[in-house]
Amino acid sequence: MSGHNDVELKPTPGDRLTKFFRRSDVIQSTIFGVIVTIVFVILGGKFYTQWMPEIMSTDMKAIEKLMVVFTWISAPVCGVVLGIALYTFLNRHSGDTPPPDGPATRTNGPIVLLWSVVTSLLALTAVIYGITELNSSSIATAKNAEDAMVVNVVGNQWVWSFEYPELGVQSHELMLPINRAVAFHVTSVDVNHSFWPVQLGVKIDANKLAETFADTTPTKLGEFDVKCAELCGLYHAYMETTGEVMTKADFDNWILEQGGHTA
Amino acid sequence: MTTLDQHVGTRPIPNPKNSLITRLNAGTGLIVGLIFTVATYQGLAKVLDTSVYHLHNQVLLATMFMWSIGFLVGIGAFIGPIRWLIGKDLTAEEQLYMAGDGQGIKRYFKYCTDHKVVGIQYLWGVIAMLAVGGAMAMMIRTDLANPGGHFITPSVYNSLVGLHGITMIVAMIIVATGPFGNYIMPIMIGAADMAFPRLNALSWWVLFTAIPVLCSAWFLGGIPTGWTAYAPLSIQAGPGMNAFIATIIIFAISTAVAGANITATVIAMRAKGMTWNRVPIFVIGATTSVALAIPAFPTFMLSMIMTAMDRSFLTGFFDANVGGTGWLYAHLFWIMGHPEVYVILLPGVAILMEIVPVFVRKPLFSYTAAVVGFAGIAGLSILVWAHHMYMSGWMPMLNGPFMVTTEMISVPTGLIFLVILGTLWNGKPWLKVPMLAVYAFLWNMLVGGITGLYLSDVPADMYLHGSMYVTAHFHYTLMGAALTGAVAGLSYWYPKMTGRMMHERASYISFWLVQIGFQVLYLGMFIAGAEGQPRRVVDYAEQFATSNKISTMGAYTIGIGFIVLLWAVIHSWRHGKIAPMNPWGAKTLEWTVPYPVPLVNFDTPPVVTSDPYGYGRSAK
Repeated sequence: MSGHNDVELKPTPGDRLTKFFRRSDVIQSTIFGVIVTIVFVILGGKFYTQWMPEIMSTDMKAIEKLMVVFTWISAPVCGVVLGIALYTFLNRHSGDTPPPDGPATRTNGPIVLLWSVVTSLLALTAVIYGITELNSSSIATAKNAEDAMVVNVVGNQWVWSFEYPELGVQSHELMLPINRAVAFHVTSVDVNHSFWPVQLGVKIDANKLAETFADTTPTKLGEFDVKCAELCGLYHAYMETTGEVMTKADFDNWILEQGGHTA
Repeated sequence: MTTLDQHVGTRPIPNPKNSLITRLNAGTGLIVGLIFTVATYQGLAKVLDTSVYHLHNQVLLATMFMWSIGFLVGIGAFIGPIRWLIGKDLTAEEQLYMAGDGQGIKRYFKYCTDHKVVGIQYLWGVIAMLAVGGAMAMMIRTDLANPGGHFITPSVYNSLVGLHGITMIVAMIIVATGPFGNYIMPIMIGAADMAFPRLNALSWWVLFTAIPVLCSAWFLGGIPTGWTAYAPLSIQAGPGMNAFIATIIIFAISTAVAGANITATVIAMRAKGMTWNRVPIFVIGATTSVALAIPAFPTFMLSMIMTAMDRSFLTGFFDANVGGTGWLYAHLFWIMGHPEVYVILLPGVAILMEIVPVFVRKPLFSYTAAVVGFAGIAGLSILVWAHHMYMSGWMPMLNGPFMVTTEMISVPTGLIFLVILGTLWNGKPWLKVPMLAVYAFLWNMLVGGITGLYLSDVPADMYLHGSMYVTAHFHYTLMGAALTGAVAGLSYWYPKMTGRMMHERASYISFWLVQIGFQVLYLGMFIAGAEGQPRRVVDYAEQFATSNKISTMGAYTIGIGFIVLLWAVIHSWRHGKIAPMNPWGAKTLEWTVPYPVPLVNFDTPPVVTSDPYGYGRSAK
């Protein structure tokens, strides 16, 4: 903005805005910014769905959606930051002496205000979205509380054990029937562990002499991994087992095979 | 130490006759420290049966603290306080001797009160810690290069993870406020020295005594708990854990002393005319950081004292069997732990903010926004600790509120971005190494901040918590942003601290190797985390092989980059191009003093009439 002329001509705010958007640096930064935003929106849709494991529960589905939405919320922020950064980076000064002085802009009230309001709104969007998800998952928990199948999970250096108290079965593998809510009651007999059936999108710490809770509803047949996500000593890396989501009939058979009784 | 140093010799060197002070140095410190160590261990081991778990812990802890005290006695840290007790003080000549003027390289091994000497001591201390921590990272990544690899045993691996973590955290806390906060900051505000020069020497030498203690962990069976040292795992751990506990307690004392000193200096010692709105932004950032550390670290110290009592006297604060709980430890730890990451981040960011106006030749855009940003981050950071405990099951109802406070931090962080971008806007940056780092920061902090957004969200954290994704996220903020800022500070202030320019080509090569390697390393780690690989694992399933291989290649690139940087620092110290007084054309006060900086910094105390950002065509 050639400051002196502007002041003399006293242009209207509309004129100044038009003039601003015709400047080559503004146009170039905007182009860079838009490209970055588009790239991040596309990547955000692809990256997590590509790398995250198979969705096997209601919770995992919500989590993956959330990751994508958050990437979209942050894409324009990346656009603004990287757009300006890229433009100035490409218009650098080279040589062994400092560049000539730039304009002596100390601050710009409206820009600071606009920036604060926009970042606050984006943060608020993320907060509201997260709270809504959190709320719907607690509603689901409350709804499932009545008829969920209880599984007692015990962490022990360095083995997971699962007990189905209503069915009279104990196992080191986590078998679950499809489309039936399951409530995990988790505890530990020694140090802290963290119960993580990966593809179910559930994680909760196992603490000694305390019970913690998590729940979900498996929605897809197949095997999944169970890991420990809290450093628990020497063989932490090997504290893992597998689980499987089965049809109701297969699950009942498995229970009977293990010497339990079906409900 | 350099040829430049020699014309100091024209001044008379103070030589207080028959004073004990002239005979003490780090060597006598080591001797007395070792005598204390051996005497304490032998003495206690006679009375207490070291084959019993808690008695052994008592003996080891006592030995470690006595080492620290012994070293400080031997180097003469207590001569002043003892004189006060008998109603005297050091003579004027002794005090001048302690400032080390004209003593050449020897003063770096003495209890020296000159802030410039302390700054250089911190610098080399930090470089040593980063080198050791970095070497450990290389071993970790080598182990993780292939699934099923048995480069090291699980026991060694867990120890490496813990030691790498705590070494880097300690180094990063002092990486900017240590060297630059001590050497540059007093000159920047026009002071003759720090407010409490003897405390300044104390803070460094106390910290120094923690280094051998931490190293001893390796020989006592290692730290199997990671740097978080969660109870009850830490209670179950072997004797190496005592070294961790003693290190943290000693370190907390050192940071309390240093924090009080820096804060007091900035409040009381600013040059005439340097009102609060004329204080350079690095000073604001560094002061916010140490002021935040003052309330934060005592809880870490407390958690370690309680862990020590559980281990040494079987008190059971964190033992569920007798009514204690591991959650209590987690709270105490993270009440320190989250402010602590901003203690690390803020000085690094502030260095970059100091650099941008100089290399763009424009005033810092909205100084107020920068100050509000720092204050907002510091204020909110004490309200977010339990976001590390979303999945602990401690109190799920409070996850919502902690999510709100955590995500609100993105607003003051946004202001930091605005200040840097606003300064860049309409400017033509001079892309010397310090300025390049600003661009690296913008990208790294953007990635670190956005990935932090996922982690701050309870449902997403349900998946990501405890995975490699977390590890990648915090390395982006602590290493990608804070360490990049500190390295930029080193190449920016190197001419003032050594009188020579840092080797430019080597600095560029190092910069690009480190930054490119960094992106490769942590991109691989983000993918491994998203795929579902837990962190702190010695081995992993076949499915994570590709992402881990990528990470290891990136890690080696960073390693080479830092070796190049280390070479540049060492080589240029003696052989670099002689630097002019103000090579970057900056307007802060440290560039108005010659090298070597005189003992009291300024011949006549400076008077400040404006802030140091008066660049620009139509400057007022």
